[in-house]
Amino acid sequence: MIKKNSFLIIKLIICFSMCISLSGCSGAREINDLEIVIGMGVDKDKDTGDILLTAQVVKKDAAVGGAGNGGGGGGDGKSFWNVSSNGKSIFDAVRQITHKTGNRLFISHNQVVIFGNDIAEEGLQEYIDFFLRAHEMRPTTMILIAEKKASEVLDAKPETEKYPAMNIAKLVETSGFTSHFFEVNMKDFASCMMSGTTASLAPSVSIVQEKDNKDIYVAGMVVFKNGKMVGKMNHDEVRGLLWVLGKVKSGVIIVPSPNKQGKAILEIVKAKSKVKPEMKDGRIVMNISIKEESSLSEQTTTENLATDKALEKLQEASAEVIRQEIMAAFNKSRELKADIFGFGEMIHKKYHKEWKTIEDKWDEIYQTIELKIEVDSKIIKTDLLKKPVSPIKKEK
Amino acid sequence: MNIEKGKISGQQLLFLIAGFVHGSALLIDFTVGITEHQTWMVILAGLIITVPVILSYVVLAKRFPEMNLVQINDMVYGRFLGKVISIYYIFFFLMTLSFNIRDVGELYITFLMQDTPFIFFLIVFTATVSYAVAKGIEVLARVSHLFVVTGLFAIISTFILLIDQMDFSNFLPLFELPFIKIFQGIHIVSAIPFGETVVFLMIMGCLNNTEHAVKKTFLGLMIGVVSLLIVAIRNTAVLGGIQTIWTSTSFQSIRLINIGTVLTRMDFLIGIAQTILIFLKCSIFFYVSVTAISQLFGLKSYLPLVLPLAGIEVIVAATVFQSPVDHATITQNAGIIYSVPLIFIFPPLSLLIAKIRGLPKPERGKGT
Repeated sequence: MIKKNSFLIIKLIICFSMCISLSGCSGAREINDLEIVIGMGVDKDKDTGDILLTAQVVKKDAAVGGAGNGGGGGGDGKSFWNVSSNGKSIFDAVRQITHKTGNRLFISHNQVVIFGNDIAEEGLQEYIDFFLRAHEMRPTTMILIAEKKASEVLDAKPETEKYPAMNIAKLVETSGFTSHFFEVNMKDFASCMMSGTTASLAPSVSIVQEKDNKDIYVAGMVVFKNGKMVGKMNHDEVRGLLWVLGKVKSGVIIVPSPNKQGKAILEIVKAKSKVKPEMKDGRIVMNISIKEESSLSEQTTTENLATDKALEKLQEASAEVIRQEIMAAFNKSRELKADIFGFGEMIHKKYHKEWKTIEDKWDEIYQTIELKIEVDSKIIKTDLLKKPVSPIKKEK
Repeated sequence: MNIEKGKISGQQLLFLIAGFVHGSALLIDFTVGITEHQTWMVILAGLIITVPVILSYVVLAKRFPEMNLVQINDMVYGRFLGKVISIYYIFFFLMTLSFNIRDVGELYITFLMQDTPFIFFLIVFTATVSYAVAKGIEVLARVSHLFVVTGLFAIISTFILLIDQMDFSNFLPLFELPFIKIFQGIHIVSAIPFGETVVFLMIMGCLNNTEHAVKKTFLGLMIGVVSLLIVAIRNTAVLGGIQTIWTSTSFQSIRLINIGTVLTRMDFLIGIAQTILIFLKCSIFFYVSVTAISQLFGLKSYLPLVLPLAGIEVIVAATVFQSPVDHATITQNAGIIYSVPLIFIFPPLSLLIAKIRGLPKPERGKGT
């Protein structure tokens, strides 16, 4: 009995000592030692050819202090610190930053990665690897392309948000209201690069000077072919692309009113698309059918548009606008010789035997693709008004 | 005499097999690199090929009730040849065990705890496995229910959370890859998750009732296969063409979970499920190894073997491969070859010989 008890005590002692020793301190990273990165910018140093990496690090004191800016004599009152470093590669630069920060960067909370224009023109192929391979990086991190330098974009302090990187992430997340650009994360970008024929896209971010303040402006998409920047798409072209991909969430369509005296402004409520590739004796036809529903959100004419006849005409007009947007996107992609729609992949999936023979000549074949677009546009509501604000004419 | 006195029920066998097959979900990555978007059909094809083989295991176990594999080998092939074959089996068990222990270490070192020494995970994990094995097969069998349910929960919940990101056109074109690749994939799948169930020949002797053994085995196998299929379909649908580049496809697809920016970073779910299920798998392998060795040498109990073998296993696991790259290459190309006779040839052959020779002979009684 005594022997059994003493054995139990030894067991208990071992258990407790394990609790202390096994929890371990090697590699411990306390929160006040972390340099929490919320945004990264990658530029090229033109003189040396090195990478210039800018990391936006949260200032812990400012983050804790809440609304009060510049707590503890912070000087300029910024709540973030843009620390940058040169390096032969991205990882090299990430490690070289420790010369300035005194700690390894903690990248798990990174929201955005912004590539400078130089890098985009040179090609992202060799720079994207680290962002997918490093275990702290998330595949859901957004990619953006700066119009000039990425570090400048990260420097522009927003008015309402504390952190530029968070602000940019927020801007990208609200893209659904216009469908003028869309969110692209590391995984999406990499899958397009893997496919070989599909061109990758990334939203473009720039700085606009407004009086004495710099504002961040995200609009349009940069088109990449084989990882290299080949051109840019404007608002309407991007939406044309999104119609085909079925990713339009919302947005505004402006059509002339039936009597041509004013405009009717429609808001997209819902959009769906179906794309069916067809191959007939060597010619490729893409059958695109789009179903769109919108609401009449504004009108600038005295004519009552909330009638069956007027709505029908508006529907026709909005279908025409959608068709034009799609054609604009398609013409642009032909001009850039970049398959932004992923038509190649669609044909690969449906006609994989024929695909082997045309894969190499895809760039030339892409120019000869025909689009058959069918748009079914519907106006499903007129919001709060059923007649315009204009003197009512009494019918005799 | 069979070395194990413990008894398990048919229901427990069902969950042991389900957890065992499901425990290989991480190893599907060996196949994904080769068979890409056709992995799901490779799993199904592998299943179809292994079904008759697994049937032969169960029939063999039923024919030799309360006997384990070593005893069966002795009886069917005679003392000398039987022992040689048994040693081959033991080698296979020990090597596979060390590979699986290494898998856990690699899982942790790559995804969960980067800075911790590799050997630490191996030691802690193997110590836990040894503890479980020392407690006997009955204990393992009783907890297997819980393990399988946890694993299924993780798989199904991640599947549901990722449904909005799935693109089912990723499965097209259906038949694109050259046959040789599919064949290699089928070989891997039929050898690793399914064929390894040959270890249950060591355990089926403990069944208290062999009446429904066939039904229970296949039900367990089905649960395992369905979970593997869910994993393969989820990964392909979510990642598409990019799925071949990742070290672990499952981890990568789960890192994509992003529901309202609140439900993110669900990596821990698969970490928990995988650890638990590989633990079950390793425990079964370890248990089978120690019982086979002690049966071979006629020991009274397998307990004295547990700790020394655990030490050897840790060292083998730490040194057998240089890197995950090495691990994948050897498993894909060599590992599945040496196990072919053990999985596909000996059990059906034993059954055939036993039928011809009319074994086991009733007058000779049980045991050797």
